[in-house]
Amino acid sequence: MRTEATDVSELELVERCQRGEAAAFDELVTRYRTRVFGMIYNMVHNEQDAWDLAQDSFVKAWKSIARFRGKSSFYTWLYRIVMNVSIDWLRKKQVKGAGTEFDDAVQLREVDPASKTLPRAEALPHQRMEREEIRTRIDEAIAQLTPEHRAVILMKETEGMQYHEIAEALGCSIGTVMSRLFYARKRLQNLLRDVYENV
Amino acid sequence: MKTFEEKWTAWIDDQLTGRELDDFLASLPDRAAAEGEKQEAKQLGTLLREQAVSLSNADFFSHQLRQRIEKDDQEQDHEQEQESSGWWTIRRLLWGAAVSFAVFLACAVFVFQNKTPQSQSQYLTEILSYRVDPNVSPNASITTFEKKDDHVTVLWADGLQSFPKEYAAK
Repeated sequence: MRTEATDVSELELVERCQRGEAAAFDELVTRYRTRVFGMIYNMVHNEQDAWDLAQDSFVKAWKSIARFRGKSSFYTWLYRIVMNVSIDWLRKKQVKGAGTEFDDAVQLREVDPASKTLPRAEALPHQRMEREEIRTRIDEAIAQLTPEHRAVILMKETEGMQYHEIAEALGCSIGTVMSRLFYARKRLQNLLRDVYENV
Repeated sequence: MKTFEEKWTAWIDDQLTGRELDDFLASLPDRAAAEGEKQEAKQLGTLLREQAVSLSNADFFSHQLRQRIEKDDQEQDHEQEQESSGWWTIRRLLWGAAVSFAVFLACAVFVFQNKTPQSQSQYLTEILSYRVDPNVSPNASITTFEKKDDHVTVLWADGLQSFPKEYAAK
């Protein structure tokens, strides 16, 4: 997995975190914040909620980092927390039944040019609009998947994680991951065929 | 044994190799349609990757997180402090109760010990302190029997020529 900065080894940072060094955790946050936020955004389709859940995930990671034994990589461990937080949130939201999951009022925010993490150049208005339309279609399509199917396809396609890493992050078998991928892909292919064929 | 879904997924992700791949391809009823679907799955993956959302205000995100963690840590320390001081109060209470009970017990024992001799009659005490003159009554013997349940004390005097006047009146 590619991260934002890789000068110091991840294991070293984790060990420093376990000794209570908040600065080391800050470094880990810098490495994973964009990916974690993007992952959660794809799960919940609301920027504010994604922001809050990403914060919750990192706080949980900080509180439980002493228990991290290094059996898996740090990001797999972190993604497990992220997925638990996101899926729990989605389930609670489904139970509450507070309106539709997809919120039309929420617009995809443009990237802040001042941010260090921004790789994109400013887009022209028509390009921006087109991108927003595509993003909306993707969000609507992903919203039709169950939280578990969403998690699997996003970890595979946007994070490039291996089956065993996804299985570890979600606490299920590799076979379950592959099966969920099969159905999630089929569903998204049906819903987004016209989008990816025209992009 | 892999299911069809697992094999299909592995094939899409180019994870199926060797004999397993050959067997899978041979089992497909329409190889061309399957290849088309594989291509679509790849396109879908590319689309999802390209449209990945970025985090704006990333530095503010970290700043906010730092503040939250600091606040949480402070609250946790405060809770631990309260917990330990609360425990100290409970311990003090327990010690206080134990000391009070010990003092009460000591007082109770003292009071009962002092009370027991008083429960005996003054008359009996006087009789017991009586000395018989061996020159006057060499065969005299005085015995007492006490039955506490019935609150009765029997004085058995044997060999006396007479009973002292002062006791006969009592």
